[in-house]
Amino acid sequence: MKIVKEAIAGTLESSDVLVKVAPSDGTLEVVVTSEVEHQFGAQIRAVVDETLIRLGISEGIVLVEDKGALDCTLRARVQTAVLRGGAVKTLDWSAL
Amino acid sequence: MNDEFEFYAVDPAQEPSEQAEIKAFLAKNGLSYEDGIEVFVVGRQGRRLIACGGLEQNIVKCVATDPLFRGESLSLTIVNEVIHLAYERGHSHLFLYTRPNNIAFFAGCGFYPIVEVPGMVSVMENTPIGIRRYCDGLKKLRQPGARIGSCVINANPFTRGHLYLIEQAAAASDWLHLFVVAEDASFFPYRDRYQLIKAGVAGIERLTLHPGSEYMVSRATFSSYFFKEKNVVGDCFTAVDLLIFREWIAPALGITHRFVGTEPFCPTTNKYNRDMKYWLQADLSAAAPVNVVEIERTAQDARAISASEVRRLLRTGDFDRIAKLVPPTTYELLSSKYRMRADGASAGAAA
Amino acid sequence: MTTSTKLRRSMLFLPGSNAAMLSTAFVFKPDSIMFDLEDAVSLREKDSARLLVFHALKLRNYRDMETVVRINPLSTPFGLLDLEAAVRAGVDVVRLPKTDTAEDVHALEREVERIERECGRDVGSTKLMAAIESASGVINAVAIATASPRLIGIALAGFDYVMDMQTERGDGTELFYARCAVLHAARYAKIDAFDVVFSDVNDDEGFLKEVELIKRLGFNGKSLINPRQIEQLHNAFAPTQEEVDYSRRVVAAAELGERQGLGVVSLNGKMIDAPVIQHARVVLQRAQASGVRR
Repeated sequence: MKIVKEAIAGTLESSDVLVKVAPSDGTLEVVVTSEVEHQFGAQIRAVVDETLIRLGISEGIVLVEDKGALDCTLRARVQTAVLRGGAVKTLDWSAL
Repeated sequence: MNDEFEFYAVDPAQEPSEQAEIKAFLAKNGLSYEDGIEVFVVGRQGRRLIACGGLEQNIVKCVATDPLFRGESLSLTIVNEVIHLAYERGHSHLFLYTRPNNIAFFAGCGFYPIVEVPGMVSVMENTPIGIRRYCDGLKKLRQPGARIGSCVINANPFTRGHLYLIEQAAAASDWLHLFVVAEDASFFPYRDRYQLIKAGVAGIERLTLHPGSEYMVSRATFSSYFFKEKNVVGDCFTAVDLLIFREWIAPALGITHRFVGTEPFCPTTNKYNRDMKYWLQADLSAAAPVNVVEIERTAQDARAISASEVRRLLRTGDFDRIAKLVPPTTYELLSSKYRMRADGASAGAAA
Repeated sequence: MTTSTKLRRSMLFLPGSNAAMLSTAFVFKPDSIMFDLEDAVSLREKDSARLLVFHALKLRNYRDMETVVRINPLSTPFGLLDLEAAVRAGVDVVRLPKTDTAEDVHALEREVERIERECGRDVGSTKLMAAIESASGVINAVAIATASPRLIGIALAGFDYVMDMQTERGDGTELFYARCAVLHAARYAKIDAFDVVFSDVNDDEGFLKEVELIKRLGFNGKSLINPRQIEQLHNAFAPTQEEVDYSRRVVAAAELGERQGLGVVSLNGKMIDAPVIQHARVVLQRAQASGVRR
């Protein structure tokens, strides 16, 4: 799956996360900003990376504004943003 | 819970009663309505207007929430809705201007500071890697030297006057970085202006031509209300524009000097040049000063060459006089593409 | 047709698009928790909510609570994808909105079975609930309620129904016939009956009055939109001490009768038949779940 256009998913509400994706020149750049960067920054990063790998995303720009989201919320929002920004719309449920 | 609130988008031009209500609401919250806003997100509790946020292209403006509800997630929700609306309208890279004491709130909305005019206004963008990445790209174009010069031109269109300025600037520098203003509010669209500049400077060595970027602030969408009735040196727009140049662009390229032409016919530009000396040279920023060098324009028939003069002649179709004011490359485009354009409508500032 | 042994007094609606609410849902203790992908979710957020709910379900954080997902109608671009997400994530019950005919149930059933096979879920494990939201639905309630062995209940949805009836929500008169019809269909099909949402979250008195009414009519439970209503509802459904004492005696008599191999059960010289015993068990079940009425 490839990110072909800019897309956004999620909200700025507490316990949620805002994920923005955009196409890139071939590299994959993931930037995570979180109020709880110190305690959970690495974990958030790991969940995002894992979600992207499972979706087969190897290039793009992924910006994650975390507002205290649980892992399940992170996964859902990242997947939604990627799907919205992707060329292919059919879901492979096993990749989620 | 936010279930009791309703959010929807409204075009103020199409809904005068909504617009009036928004104006009153903003005034109550100490903000001025801005006419350029294309769409508002409005939040209501029942019939009561409790929040709003506006968009002018990719600039977020006029965000306000009823004091009774501040502290709830209402403020976050209204900004969230504005961001989503902006995406729907094709704008993913957003800017906003706000008073410095609101920086923390907007930081919580995913906005990152670019510059601050001390105590007056802060400019922010909705990505942590916006201007940083842009400048990382610029750093790759650094050139060695003690005198690294710069010019920023709109060139509407590119004239002999511009060429002279650039030649002088290049001669006085170890390297010259030439920036083109990207905004399409000029009579000549960006693509044409850029091509004319590129063709016009083709023979000059030790010069890098930089296409415009979103970080050369747009006058058209700037929020001027921050500076009303305040004693700030120069135009607020100027301040922001120049601080971005001084604090981000100049350091990335190692720029030490900025060259501008004098503009006898244009009071706006004269003022701008004075303000430029202030914001680029005064001891008001942690960033190193950039020396401003004014270069007198060339004269043709005892009159300084200016782009506005060329546009005026274009309106009257006086191509003989135009030929004296512009390089051959510019003349070619004007006579082929713009000969029949008699309306002369030109929205941009000179040069 | 199932003989309900599961308590379904309270079904808490949660908007599927609200990450914060989904994160904290397990704190509340309704009998059923319903993730709404339909009316609570804006068009823009349909895809986003679907994945939020998908992942929330997969967490399996809900202990004894029965999970329900209200999908969009299958006639919309969203319904089928909602169903895929819900079934694959292991939801207990799928709630079909705007059920007008038995065929609506059959169509849903076919898709559910297909998905179960595709994802390896036990065929038949996904239960269904039909929501009646129109005059047609009320008219066809019996056919709907008997349309599938997967159906565990039939719900009346007040807002859309009264609009279809060209009236508005009021003191309950406007729902009278629909409530009775839905109840009768449920009883005939031996499934549960659920009443409408009471939307004024600040009107405790009105809420309790309505709960009293529908409990008296015989509804098994009610849809809720505010967690505060859960305890109020459970308390209203809770039996009094006298009812509990009596029910204990009934159940004891039934068990004694069974041990003694008698065909007939009697208490205080009177014959008690199966429905009475069944009701007594439900009373004790409710008492066990939330005590005696305060």
